Amino acid sequence: MNVANRHFIGLVLLIAVLAAAAAVGQDQATKQRELIAVLQSNAASAEKAITCKQLAIYGTEEAVPSLMPLLADKELASWARIALEVIPGPAADEALREAMGTLQGRLLVGAINSIGVRRDAMAVDGLVQKLGDNDADVASAAAVALGHIGGDRAAKALLQALTRSPAAARSAVAEGGVLCAEWYLAKDQPAEAVRLYDAIRQADVPNQRRLEAIRGAILARKSGGIGLLIEQLESADKGRFGIGLRTARELAGRDVTEALAAELDRLSPEKRPLLLLALADRNDDAVSPAVLRAAQGGPKSLRITAINILIRLGDVACVPTLLAAATEGDAELGKAAQETLSRLRGKEVDADLAARLPDAKGKTRQVLIELAGQREIGAALPAIVSSIEDADAGVRGAAIQAVGVLGRDQQVADLTKLLQKTAGSAERSSIEKALLAVTGRSGVKSVPHLLPLTKSSDSSLHIIGLHALAVVGGTEALGAVKAAIAGNDATVQDEAVRILSTWPNNWPEDTEAGDALLRLTQSGAKMSHQVLALRGYLQHVRGNTKLSNNQKVARVMDLRPQIKRPEEERLAIAVLGEAPSSDSLELLTTLAQDPAVAEEAYSAIVKIAGAETPGLSKEQRQQALRMVAEKSGNNGTKRRAREALSKI
Amino acid sequence: MKSVTTKTRNNLPEGTIRPGRRQFLKTAMKAGALLALPQVIPSSALGKAGAVAPSERITLGAIGIGGRGSYVLGCFLHEEDLQCIAVCDVRGDRRKRAKDMADARYGNHDCTAYIDMRELLARDDIDALLIATGPNWHATASIMAAKAGKDVYCEKPCTKNIAQSLALADVFRRTGRVFQAGTQRRSLPNFAYAVELAHSGRLGQLVTLHAHPGGLGTSVSGWLPAEPEPPRDQVDWDAYLGPAAWRPYNRKLLDGFNFEKGGGMVGGGCLEWGSHCVDLCQWANQSDDTAPVEYEPVNGQLHARYANGVKLVMRNDGWLPLGSCPVRYEGTTGWVETGDDAEFGASSPDLLTRRGAKIPGYPADFHVRDFLDCVKSRAQTRANADAACWAHIACHAANVALFLNRKVRFDPQKCEFIGDEQANRLRSEALREPWRI
Repeated sequence: MNVANRHFIGLVLLIAVLAAAAAVGQDQATKQRELIAVLQSNAASAEKAITCKQLAIYGTEEAVPSLMPLLADKELASWARIALEVIPGPAADEALREAMGTLQGRLLVGAINSIGVRRDAMAVDGLVQKLGDNDADVASAAAVALGHIGGDRAAKALLQALTRSPAAARSAVAEGGVLCAEWYLAKDQPAEAVRLYDAIRQADVPNQRRLEAIRGAILARKSGGIGLLIEQLESADKGRFGIGLRTARELAGRDVTEALAAELDRLSPEKRPLLLLALADRNDDAVSPAVLRAAQGGPKSLRITAINILIRLGDVACVPTLLAAATEGDAELGKAAQETLSRLRGKEVDADLAARLPDAKGKTRQVLIELAGQREIGAALPAIVSSIEDADAGVRGAAIQAVGVLGRDQQVADLTKLLQKTAGSAERSSIEKALLAVTGRSGVKSVPHLLPLTKSSDSSLHIIGLHALAVVGGTEALGAVKAAIAGNDATVQDEAVRILSTWPNNWPEDTEAGDALLRLTQSGAKMSHQVLALRGYLQHVRGNTKLSNNQKVARVMDLRPQIKRPEEERLAIAVLGEAPSSDSLELLTTLAQDPAVAEEAYSAIVKIAGAETPGLSKEQRQQALRMVAEKSGNNGTKRRAREALSKI
Repeated sequence: MKSVTTKTRNNLPEGTIRPGRRQFLKTAMKAGALLALPQVIPSSALGKAGAVAPSERITLGAIGIGGRGSYVLGCFLHEEDLQCIAVCDVRGDRRKRAKDMADARYGNHDCTAYIDMRELLARDDIDALLIATGPNWHATASIMAAKAGKDVYCEKPCTKNIAQSLALADVFRRTGRVFQAGTQRRSLPNFAYAVELAHSGRLGQLVTLHAHPGGLGTSVSGWLPAEPEPPRDQVDWDAYLGPAAWRPYNRKLLDGFNFEKGGGMVGGGCLEWGSHCVDLCQWANQSDDTAPVEYEPVNGQLHARYANGVKLVMRNDGWLPLGSCPVRYEGTTGWVETGDDAEFGASSPDLLTRRGAKIPGYPADFHVRDFLDCVKSRAQTRANADAACWAHIACHAANVALFLNRKVRFDPQKCEFIGDEQANRLRSEALREPWRI
């Protein structure tokens, strides 16, 4: 075992011991003595590193002397500072201050950073000295640390350094200045903060520092900062406009909101929507009139922005404006307005829209109906139903669609009657869609209303009736489908067979469908009817919980002469794979001879032969599995076959 | 109470997108699939309607582009109003792959590749950054980027401890930069809808929130045996370590997340999925500016309590099969549960009538779009620095309770544990020199 591995294992053990100690609440003083001993020993760096982390939790000032030397160790300095940054008391501060006098380069930067984190006011003089260090990284660290500590002495030094420090440290000096300004704000000395912010925003510092100072200068002035804020919003500089938008969301006060709303009219068109968005984020009631006004007229992009904002800020009072926008003829505006109307919060919005509907005409009526559907306004249903025969095609279409969303069993009758009066295929299609939706909700209550459709001499009506009945299921519905198959209309017959063939998937409890399908496999008027019936019947057999496994296999065996194509073979394999027996295994072996379905059959064989089944001998299972292991082209199936064989 | 569960599917690894899915997402975005979401910024307001001139595009730099980073960068590259002009990774193979991705997108060789992120940050022609390094770097790099005047989309977990979480929020507020945490579930309609149910009172008064933490184990960081350090152009080990305490090179530590598990004072724990699921519970409880006040390990779970009395349970087991990262919100009159399959379980089907579009597979596209919109509008993103700060604080405080294996109480106003010095010492960890936040 090499030294590194020994150290690693030792480290793991140390972690385990310390973690356990934490759990049981071992005496902290004892624990600390053990940890200090590790640091003072010749232990490997790895051990000392983790020890530092433990001292960060359990160490006291007593541990500081043993941590101090590590500050000069390139490998362990950061570990030592993990402890020194959090150990309470002046000893750690003193250690870091002392290190500031002896270290250089990165290690010195680290010590200064930790002083900043600890906000050691006693270190200010030392840090001010370091502010003039030739190493820009050291000077920068000192500037930021002074900012974290704050106070008059730090602020004064940073202000002076703002013009005197080398360019490489100027950004950090400004950062420290901004931090100092925040210190003054926290001490409720905004004038001092403003003095710092103003100096920084006018200094030769990186643009981002100036932006931070601008923001601070505005916020520290409160309402007095409105002018400076407006100046940013009017600026051609992207960064200043951006900080203006950000600060416009932060600066509190109704006078600020009013000033920003007034500014909305003065800004260039491309800036207005962005300011409107900022206004909307202010959570101030005074914003709503400005947004509503913007929604009512002016540049289209501003109107659309306002309309979208009303989703959040709008209420029932916005309905007239939004309805007007939704119906004025501009597609983009109309879409935005309707979207907002569909999402405005409040029951009173529903009531308002429902109340407008009876007297509304044309496009407005259409939009109101669409909204009633989108918002699921049940109170609007009578007015909507009265529109399903409206002369206006737009109104009529919207009403039919809305009935699909809101309708109850009574509307099955309404839609059925409407269907009988409607000739166009497109309109019939939309009525059928609504009918199916309402039927799905109404269930068996729909059947009496639907049966008349199945008596219609119009093939398409008859077929719509069958589709709707297939949504309901049950004996009456099935009877109508069977009657259609026995009828004379070939188009209806074809569709009825298709419906019957999927019946077992939708209504497995309607077992009568099985007999009808079985008969059709032999007596179907067309080959396509027989094929569909065969597929439906196999699905019926598979899903029929009243049949035993042996009965299921027997049903498949009976139909075996008709099962010739891969599609039906796959369905048969699905039935057999779930019905383990000697016969199903034999039948699957036969089906495996068709290369098109061989792998499906092999997989089913492994499933059956891999488990003990009454009536299935060990030899039969082994023979089947060997066959699969030999012939299957699927590695997974082969592997499963071999594994199953090995267990027999 | 009769409950309902919608259909389920198998989980996918984070970031998986099926063939043809990109087109579906684009269509869904145009069709307003995110109707349940609160913020709506019209494209016309942001100048991205129609073709976008190169001078109007947001310029992006991407830092730390491994597996997850490549996926999210792909989401960025699909946006027409963006151009990725720089990438940075301490690993040579990843650096080249990221540059190739960007160059292939634009049909040129203009994307510049960097080893040292400070060189990338110094460019004043970059507006925004994708930061997808290992978690060890997330907060430090994000803060450095904000100070350099960049907006940031940062992968989760975004911070290593409570102090970093607070610093992140402070710096982004101070700099006025835009931040989006990579908690993309905030931009997905099923999670937003569940939150809307909680906010609207349709679940009654909230009682208990459940979050899948994706693990609850914690540990202190370690140090693996030294191996020969590769050349800098293959792996810049010093840059990789970044703000983490020094340790020798070992290739096993190059897995960013495993490094984090051993890279922090309290590694692992509930930050993996907690940064998503706890965040979603924070959102549901309207706690984007606070965190629970009590945390207690209980029988393999972590139980927390908000000041408003709502309980937060972090548990790994007992979820409906709704995909990864599930959350469950329970109120006095109903409950809802959802996960990455974008399906729901609920106490009543009536709760789900306006559930909106189903977008499974937790894509980041919507979240990236939200970020880019906010870069233009300067609005707060859905997972802004304040929200991310408090969601991460909740996770870190839970980790502290798990690490100490006892109940801790937390004061969100003072951001300190009450009468618990050991816990308070775990709120922060010194950064390796020369890094600072």
